[in-house]
Amino acid sequence: MLKWYEQVRMDTGSNYVSSRIRLARNWKEYRFPGSLTADEAGEMVRRLRAGLEPFCEAAGESFTGSLLAEIPEAERLAMRERRILNAGILGRRAPVGLVLSETEDVSLVLNGDDHIRLQLISPNQHIYELWSRADALDDRLNESFAYAFDERFGYLTSFPTNVGTGMRANIVVHLPALSTGKQFQSLLQSMTRFGVTIRGVYGAGRENYGALYDVSNSKTLGLSEREILDLVVKVAAQLNSEENQVRRKSVEVHRLERVDEAFKAYGLLKYARKLSLRDALSYISQVMAGITDGIITAGEPVSLYRLYFGIQPYNLIAAARGPVDREKLDAVRADYIRRELPEIKEV
Amino acid sequence: MLCEKCKIREATIQYTEVVNGNREEHHFCAQCAREMDFGQVSALFDGEFTFGKIISALLGEEGQADEPAFTQIVCPNCGTSYQQFVDESRFGCADCYEVFDLLIRDSIQKLQGSETHKGKHPKYSTKMIPESLTRDLPGASKRAAEQEETGTKPETGRAAELNELRVSLRQAIRDEEFELAAQYRDRIRELEKEDADA
Repeated sequence: MLKWYEQVRMDTGSNYVSSRIRLARNWKEYRFPGSLTADEAGEMVRRLRAGLEPFCEAAGESFTGSLLAEIPEAERLAMRERRILNAGILGRRAPVGLVLSETEDVSLVLNGDDHIRLQLISPNQHIYELWSRADALDDRLNESFAYAFDERFGYLTSFPTNVGTGMRANIVVHLPALSTGKQFQSLLQSMTRFGVTIRGVYGAGRENYGALYDVSNSKTLGLSEREILDLVVKVAAQLNSEENQVRRKSVEVHRLERVDEAFKAYGLLKYARKLSLRDALSYISQVMAGITDGIITAGEPVSLYRLYFGIQPYNLIAAARGPVDREKLDAVRADYIRRELPEIKEV
Repeated sequence: MLCEKCKIREATIQYTEVVNGNREEHHFCAQCAREMDFGQVSALFDGEFTFGKIISALLGEEGQADEPAFTQIVCPNCGTSYQQFVDESRFGCADCYEVFDLLIRDSIQKLQGSETHKGKHPKYSTKMIPESLTRDLPGASKRAAEQEETGTKPETGRAAELNELRVSLRQAIRDEEFELAAQYRDRIRELEKEDADA
């Protein structure tokens, strides 16, 4: 079965790459993870795993459950690159549980920053569908575990930055044209007034490779889940439509240059014997833009986006199933891309 | 861009000043920024830039964190002190929200732009998981028994006194009666210690 990121389609004329919902929840019976002893944490993770049946049944997928300590380090780091784990919990000594669906679109982190972190990811923009699914799955969890909740503060979380709905909604958009404009940084700045945070996915600020930008809600308290979604969707839609305008115009006026750019990037990806992460991200982004704009095509539906994950250092290392010399990583990356890159033609 | 003060290091901090409606932008490196006086936001330049630091700065702004009475408040359930919370921006348990209630309300308002939850409420507020699933765990059955004792059944003896003391502690903090609060806290600790030893 294809992973969610293998199903991302960028040939539909929109620049939406992925959507994600995260819910932070705590079980009333235990203190928050930061103040649990190792024994208590171990007991809690065991009990949480024992009560997940209604949840797994409702999700309708097969899940793998494990403790982070049981997963090889390279795979843990690769999971971080695939947005399953965050940096904070990788270093935790206390037992942390991970329950992951086969397509990696639904996951639970147990005893991370909070007792339960439910995460749902989907290809492209389906955030409202994701929320209805997350909402229902949250109820199934709640059936087994009574939540720490306060009438005024809402769902209680370890960090005051998550209290209230406990929800973070993200939409990732691909903005290769907009992000090269002079006004881009001030555009991002002006968007933050609406209560959203916009971050470059690979690299920060002006140093962003691959032109992916992540829009998420900055606040979790005082807005309903629906209002949070509307906000994130509105800002992402604005960015998408501005990007589309610039790109449509560039295709109209400079079609040959755009086709040339896409093929040069494709040629490098196809023939290079060493590729740094930065370069690879930029070239994949240019090819992806050409496909979205309908000036080049792979013939059949493909997910170029999966390469964004595949070329990350630990995903290359984890896939190699053997030791990889750090200095040879650029060569391993170029090999991987040559294997995985589809044939591209002009439209 | 180079820092406009030392003109040596790269500027990483953009400082925007608005005086009488005139906007002025400055660019400094972290080291110079730390040496300059930006009031409460200076804390942001110490080390890593995190949300945690922001809330610490906001809390510090109230000038209360240094007062011994405030820093001594300790959550009776998890032992997190107010000072610890300010340092780490992290609650130790659900009770912390109530214990530190008045101290944090303004900060949460500043951080989140609101202090009242709107949106989903939990569908189930009691335990629905069949006891048989977790009963075999030694810690679990003890906990369940404890819960029953403090929850549904009428309370007796030490448990009742502990609960009463916790309520009084919260009330004392609300009324800013910190000396009284400290006495309650000490008594709670005593009782809990006896419980643990028993």
